[in-house]
Amino acid sequence: MSDVGARSSVLSDSLALRFSTREAMKHAVLILGAVVVLLPLYEMVSYSHKAPVEIMQQTGGFLGSQEPFRDDFCIKLGNAVEDCMVNPIVYNYTTAFEKAPLLRYLMNGVIVTVSIFLIQVVVALPCAYALAKLKFWGREAVFGLVLFCLLIPVHAIALPLYIMLAKLGLTNSYAALIIPWTISVFGIFLMRQFFMTVPDDLIDAARMDGMSEYSIVWNVMLPTAIPALMAFGIFSVVAHWNDYFWPRIVITGNRDLFTPPLGLREFKGDADGDNFGPMMATACIIVTPLIVAFLLAQRRFIEGITLSGMK
Amino acid sequence: MPGSRAYLWFIGPAIILMVLILLLPIGIAGALSFTDYSLGNTSANFVGTENYERIFTRTTYEKMFGATFRYVFVVVPLTVLLGLGAALLIHSLTRFGDLYKTIYFLPVMAALIAMAIVWEFAFHPTIGIINATLERGCGTWLETWDWYAAGCARTFPLWLTDRDYAIWTVAFIGVWQGFGFNMVLYLAGLTSIPRSLYDAADMDGAQSGWERFRLVTWPMLGPTTVFVVTISFIRSFQVFDTVEAFYPQGGGPSKSVYVMMFAIYEKAIQQNLMGIGAAITVVFLGFVMFLTILQRWLVERRTHYV
Repeated sequence: MSDVGARSSVLSDSLALRFSTREAMKHAVLILGAVVVLLPLYEMVSYSHKAPVEIMQQTGGFLGSQEPFRDDFCIKLGNAVEDCMVNPIVYNYTTAFEKAPLLRYLMNGVIVTVSIFLIQVVVALPCAYALAKLKFWGREAVFGLVLFCLLIPVHAIALPLYIMLAKLGLTNSYAALIIPWTISVFGIFLMRQFFMTVPDDLIDAARMDGMSEYSIVWNVMLPTAIPALMAFGIFSVVAHWNDYFWPRIVITGNRDLFTPPLGLREFKGDADGDNFGPMMATACIIVTPLIVAFLLAQRRFIEGITLSGMK
Repeated sequence: MPGSRAYLWFIGPAIILMVLILLLPIGIAGALSFTDYSLGNTSANFVGTENYERIFTRTTYEKMFGATFRYVFVVVPLTVLLGLGAALLIHSLTRFGDLYKTIYFLPVMAALIAMAIVWEFAFHPTIGIINATLERGCGTWLETWDWYAAGCARTFPLWLTDRDYAIWTVAFIGVWQGFGFNMVLYLAGLTSIPRSLYDAADMDGAQSGWERFRLVTWPMLGPTTVFVVTISFIRSFQVFDTVEAFYPQGGGPSKSVYVMMFAIYEKAIQQNLMGIGAAITVVFLGFVMFLTILQRWLVERRTHYV
């Protein structure tokens, strides 16, 4: 696959300078598409730099004029007008952090996504190893169960899961955010397929050296699985960082447990015109980590996100 | 065999979690769907198939299915076609292909809830960029289009708050968000088509781009297409974020955007009507599992002659 890519890129370099109308038409269509795709991202970044007046009147270009404006809330608190003149971008981004505990939300996001990924690996990796490399009674049945569970989208069974957690008194806790995602049948399936390609000799050699099955999983299989695990990790982290539905259901009211999407939604709930800039700043802050990571490691990200395509 | 019991420790946790988190809830949903259970009640009454009868007779749920299917049957074809179109164009480019690929994939990465808030503002009837841009076209040749002239004479649509436009606007955002995902799947499919097949088609006299597409590309993309269509169905059936962001109560203008996931959320979580919520869950699961099984069957059938 990669040498075809290399060949076609050599080919493309030699053809690159030749102008053709066909090629120009294709670019025209793709650029039009790119404009539509980028429009909301452009607006989001732009608004996070602008003063309320500029947002309402659609003026100020991309980054706004950055002229200080009067912060009415500050005047209401009894400060002098000259003390209340603020620079839009500074105002938007500081308000984003001050009006709501955004740092706390971001930290919750990290705690939840990282815990989910780690638990998924701890549960899925040994199971995948057993399914791929150990012979035991009922192996086919267990694999059949995995295949069946692949049919079930967790969001679709959110309601019974919510009832179960409520009965256990676990709603409004980190546990509620994490528990439903601790089992990734997709992770098991993926790792099993990967382990099938690992030669048996490697495992036999490890057994000869007197390694226990446990240390084979963590000291032999885990290192060989790093590339697949990274792709799975990206898949998992992106899904759970951006997830809105499940946190919306199990976290009711306790702001200390809000994940970034919930925090942003709460912001929108009580936003008036003046808060639009800060809200967009919050949106930027929430979206940026994944976008930056994606731009830095595109190939891995696309691999990870489209992993499900390997089934 | 050393450590012959080790496998129990390896598969045990996974099996227990699969049963508790994935299988048991289906059973619970199935059981509750025949009751009038509410959270906080110590017991529930058996109501037979009343919940299901409601779902298939009441107008609210008729609207729910209407909104869901409208959304799904707009989003799935468009994300698949745009994904395929973008992939074909990008694949055939001699340069800058990766740049477009990166741009088109950005919406997949961005939190949908954040993007929904931005789109809501863009679609705002008076201060949003969409209508502001449309107004600039007034007085030009665009007015020969009746719809456009009507918009200029009175006002352009209210989009998200307009009963006739709301579901299509939400679907547009779904397409915007989803087609980049399908594009990368199709790109992966395209790079795996051997060049020799095109050469062979060439020798058989398939000269035009369309012939090459019809004879080689499309059949070779068959498995990818089956997968892309299925995953698009499952993803769009689960639409929730945008709907909840735009219409936290009630599901949009005259319930025109009352999709199934939102209905489950509203009935069960907001109104604590677990029985009816469970019944919608069961119907929903039925759809999704049927689609996935259909996909697996198609893939297995295809592998015999591809």
